[in-house]
Amino acid sequence: MSQFLHFAEHTLQEVALVFMALVYITRIRWLLKFKAGKERQASTGPGNTTPRKGIIYSWANIAMPWAMESSRKKPFFYFQFVIFHLGVVAAIGLSFIIPYAPDLLGSQMFVTIMRVMTGAACLVGLARIVRRISNIYIRAISSPDDYFSLILLTVWFFLAFLAAPNNYANTETHLLVYFILTAFFLAYVPFSKISHYLYYPFTRYYLGKTLGHRGVFPIKHGTTVRSKI
Amino acid sequence: MEEIVSNQQRSYKAQKVLERIEKKLNRQIVGSLAACVHCGMCTESCHYVLANPGDPTYAPAYKADKIRKLFKRHFDWTGSVLPGWVGARSVFTDEDLEDLKDTVFGKCTNCRRCTINCPMGVDYATFNRMMRGVLVSVGVMPEGVAVVSKDQWEIGNQMGVLKEDYIDTLEWLAEELEEEMGDQNATIPIDKENADIVYSINPREVKYDPRTISDAAKIFYQAGANWTMPSEGWDMTNFGLFSGDDDLGGAVARRLYEKVSELKGKKLVISECGHGYRSTRCEGQNWGQWDIDFVMESSVITMLNYIKEGRIKVDKSRNTTPVTFHDSCNNARSCGLFEEPRELLNLVVTDFREMYPNRSENYCCTGGGGAMSMSEYTPRRLKSAKIKADQLAETGASIVVTSCHNCVDGLSDLIKHYKLGMQVTQLVNLVANALVIEKKAAVPLPSSCPENG
Repeated sequence: MSQFLHFAEHTLQEVALVFMALVYITRIRWLLKFKAGKERQASTGPGNTTPRKGIIYSWANIAMPWAMESSRKKPFFYFQFVIFHLGVVAAIGLSFIIPYAPDLLGSQMFVTIMRVMTGAACLVGLARIVRRISNIYIRAISSPDDYFSLILLTVWFFLAFLAAPNNYANTETHLLVYFILTAFFLAYVPFSKISHYLYYPFTRYYLGKTLGHRGVFPIKHGTTVRSKI
Repeated sequence: MEEIVSNQQRSYKAQKVLERIEKKLNRQIVGSLAACVHCGMCTESCHYVLANPGDPTYAPAYKADKIRKLFKRHFDWTGSVLPGWVGARSVFTDEDLEDLKDTVFGKCTNCRRCTINCPMGVDYATFNRMMRGVLVSVGVMPEGVAVVSKDQWEIGNQMGVLKEDYIDTLEWLAEELEEEMGDQNATIPIDKENADIVYSINPREVKYDPRTISDAAKIFYQAGANWTMPSEGWDMTNFGLFSGDDDLGGAVARRLYEKVSELKGKKLVISECGHGYRSTRCEGQNWGQWDIDFVMESSVITMLNYIKEGRIKVDKSRNTTPVTFHDSCNNARSCGLFEEPRELLNLVVTDFREMYPNRSENYCCTGGGGAMSMSEYTPRRLKSAKIKADQLAETGASIVVTSCHNCVDGLSDLIKHYKLGMQVTQLVNLVANALVIEKKAAVPLPSSCPENG
């Protein structure tokens, strides 16, 4: 392994991680400096809902595709979401495994799993790029950051796919590019929409707390007559 | 708020809008503004989108971005440094504010259907309301919003009903009730102290539908309730919810709370009104920063309890026409009131047909969010009502029942527009129609009759 690759796998990642962590801490502190609205009134609703139940239901939303009409009606879209985010887990995982636990990549099975996850996520990324460009509603709400973030992630998945075997016998280029892009990604993420996962616990907490207090969450579904809508 | 270096002069109103947005930001609103990932999952949850296919300007994320752009430009990092990169943009002219007005008042009823379909939990309706309030504070609002707000500030109710007209109405309704029941105790007590129930209504009932008042009075009489109606502060509706004006919202709510406390009432019962119930029961205390020493409930719950406790008897065979139930957005998605109306309905009608979707996923009647007072948006509103019209037609019902006066108007409008041939009614009317009248001896009622708290 060259010194440059070693630097990219270790020091560069560590610096980028610390930078990202510091920015995220600042971001959370910024969010928390805004006062949280409170509910003075007595609870409403069926009587078996509470703010706590609402919060848990709200946090779990991401794992309950049946809970929202928007994900219930588009199961394939939800499936893509799962694949995409599993790819994120795999790609992030590789950025730690390659430098700190390379022995794991001695298992062909493990390498295959990582490649399937990142490869599938890359394909979903490509599909999402097409959707963002071709769907009139999505195009209308897209900023340069939306396009760039999606392209960045899709390329990153592809590079993770190439990097997964951790084979630098013939060339280190794919690993170098993967780790440099990872470092860039870590520095860019806090300033882009990719940082949405930072807000998820907060937005869903407050929504769940309010709607749990008011008896709306957990949502009860009732169906009798099915409409064409 | 950072000063923006710009060669473009900002109008006085635009400058004030930006200053006031900063004051309105709280953690929930900031989270919602920051968290959107532009995934588009909210798009098809909106009745405006479904009724205007191919027009992205109705998509919830697009509408929300009109406000989000300002937030990113003036209060968020990347937007302040690289505005174009994240779609951040400021407002400069009064025309920019008019464009905002068209979106926040004219393209959204704050029904919150997008909120419950957002994977990130972005609550667009809440910051849309916030933006309405900011625009109202600089005088940018539809004319109807200005007129109704003025009435509610000055006269005390949003339909400008004068006190003498209100009292006159109650008195002649009481006379009719006494004659019908043949009992001088069948009356509408006004300003009675220490009553178990203080009953508050929507001014629409006084002006256009006094039958709902007399139906409620009949039910209270049959239940032997110790009840009263206040002479002032009786309007439980609250245009502050629609205008985004928290000061108006708090003032109106406190007016009613203070009257109930003055009368030493034990329970405030709110007649069937979606936004009135939400404003009084769920929001008013927060707007007015007011704690109360009495309980509050919807009249739907009151009537249901009366039947379950045996205090009134009903004969559902008097209501055989097929009915369906429309969930008012404010009742269902903001207050969790969707099972009790159904339970009550099943006790007083023989043929109840659910529409789909229902409960907290039901579609807006399109008359909410103050839309009925904004006549300039009527054509757009009626077009967006196609979705609701299809829902209603699908049920095969002849009557649509709702617990909201705004919905009564919204549904009546769309039923007429789409020639559905349906009637609209409220639960109190069906209960009164099913009521088994038991003649009481003409003796004075005891001074208190226990009510469930």
